[in-house]
Amino acid sequence: MQSLSKAEKSYIQVGLLSSPPSRSDGRSLLDYRSVALETGVAPLANGSARVNIGRNANQAGGGTEVVAASKLEVESIDDDGGVEGGRIVCTVSCSPSAYPHLSSGALDDIQQDMTTILHQTLAHPSLHPNNLSILPRKKSWLLNLDVLVLADAGNVYDALFIAARAALWDTKVPRTRSVEYKARKTTGTKPGGTGDMDVDEETPSGFDTRQIQNATDFELPDYWDEGEVLDGREKWPVCVTLNLVPPVHYLDATGQEEAATPLRLLLMFTFPPNGPADVQAMRMLGPGELKITQLKDLIVTGEKYAHDLYHSLNVKLKEEDVRRNQKARDRFEQHR
Amino acid sequence: MGSRVEILNEGGFRSDGRRQYELRDMTIDLSQQGSADGSAVVTHGLTQVLVSVFGPREAKMRSQTIHDRANINVEVNVAAFSTGERRRRTRGDKRILELAATIKSTFEPVVQTNLYPRSQIDVFVQVLQQDGGLLQACINGTTLALVNAGIPLLDFVCAVTGGVHETAPMLDLTLLEENDTPNVTVAVMPKTGKVTLVTMETRLHVDRFEKIFRLAGDAGKVIHGEMKSAVKTRTSALVTAMGSGPRVGAGDAADRDADERMNEY
Repeated sequence: MQSLSKAEKSYIQVGLLSSPPSRSDGRSLLDYRSVALETGVAPLANGSARVNIGRNANQAGGGTEVVAASKLEVESIDDDGGVEGGRIVCTVSCSPSAYPHLSSGALDDIQQDMTTILHQTLAHPSLHPNNLSILPRKKSWLLNLDVLVLADAGNVYDALFIAARAALWDTKVPRTRSVEYKARKTTGTKPGGTGDMDVDEETPSGFDTRQIQNATDFELPDYWDEGEVLDGREKWPVCVTLNLVPPVHYLDATGQEEAATPLRLLLMFTFPPNGPADVQAMRMLGPGELKITQLKDLIVTGEKYAHDLYHSLNVKLKEEDVRRNQKARDRFEQHR
Repeated sequence: MGSRVEILNEGGFRSDGRRQYELRDMTIDLSQQGSADGSAVVTHGLTQVLVSVFGPREAKMRSQTIHDRANINVEVNVAAFSTGERRRRTRGDKRILELAATIKSTFEPVVQTNLYPRSQIDVFVQVLQQDGGLLQACINGTTLALVNAGIPLLDFVCAVTGGVHETAPMLDLTLLEENDTPNVTVAVMPKTGKVTLVTMETRLHVDRFEKIFRLAGDAGKVIHGEMKSAVKTRTSALVTAMGSGPRVGAGDAADRDADERMNEY
């Protein structure tokens, strides 16, 4: 995004291509900067996360910073634009402080780009969670995922997807109970029937599985936790950005390196619990070009990087779950 | 207890357990955020605001430059998840433009803009959480971010909201209290005792105004103390980091001198 002079660009490129390759911060080609993740940062959201890639260790500043939060809304299916089974809408907004040199129009364009990529990937039917429905044919949840880019020091797409995955992982769907209106059972004389005739009572058969849903509304039962987690939360994809300076590629570019890279390839993978990984989406950014055979190789290698990222992210997310639930409960016990 | 939340109960406590004149917990984080020249994260209770300052620098749009002083450009963004009900406010939203204009007019007499002719100071305010006292948090955050960026100010600007429940004045209102009581936001400059902002969107009885205005002035001094100590901690941390190398000349006297000067602000 930054503008670099020709000399700066070639300096960075020569560094990447030399052997051994050298980058300005001393990393090797496939090293990530340190990634910090925290869930539960927005108290008013149903799930939230803050991600920082490349924070300065000593003065706690700098790096790419992204905050994601999901919020659930009730939608009526008939008139409100709701869809059977619920829907997901992702929005990315960029703080002007992330791109201080851009005009507001250019900022809107960037926001739009990021929104499209995130929404198209995450709102895909193959990833749709099953528990966003409230009342069949009547009410469903609308999951709004708002992602906020607070600072961009390169590799913003990986950060976006990490934050989105963490926020969705953290999302709790409130439990609902359907409310039904029934006519009160009248005992004694049956309306319209002859009083003295013996009419068989219609008893429902235990084998009758055809249930007609009469539920008209729902209520939120009072319960100790905030609800159940989103169904299939392991499925949410991770993104790796391969920065291509032919013939090499490298990971986790800084802002300057991004400006010196002619082509970037975004690969979004999901990892089903059993079976091979799926490529969920793919994007090429930048003016460069690529041969199909190269692309095939890159997808195979990209999957390896994504797999590592996916596993370390899962470990961290589980750690966060423990920190926020179990440890918080223990602390509460101590102070009581 | 009835279904309605009491603003101030008979024991003199508010809905969140505070006394009438008690301020909410205030935290200040002055660490660097992104590439900003100065930034601050200010929290008043559950209201959280991140302010980044860029500049003084060349204006993005040439037409915005003023020949004899710097132009202060304030942009406010509200995160969609900051409120209870999700609502996306775009940049063109009237409410947000008004907030930005208020912040700008509050700081124009305080920032020494005449030192930087033909340049621009950008203030980007990002609202992360809202629970009442939004303007107050924005102003306090902007003051700290400007200080952190090293932009010369005549004084700190410390803002606080005050409200009146029946006849009892209260300070630093939460969203719940803000919706139910007439309230006023006051920004004071504690050193000079001047007031740079008084704003009110509700109706308040004239007789009550004086009391609440005085209280807000006093509360401003308390907030000033908090802000000053945060700036001092941050500055001394930076000075220690810089001074880890050998010191030039006899440092002690100069140090004491600097410390004293610091205490004056």
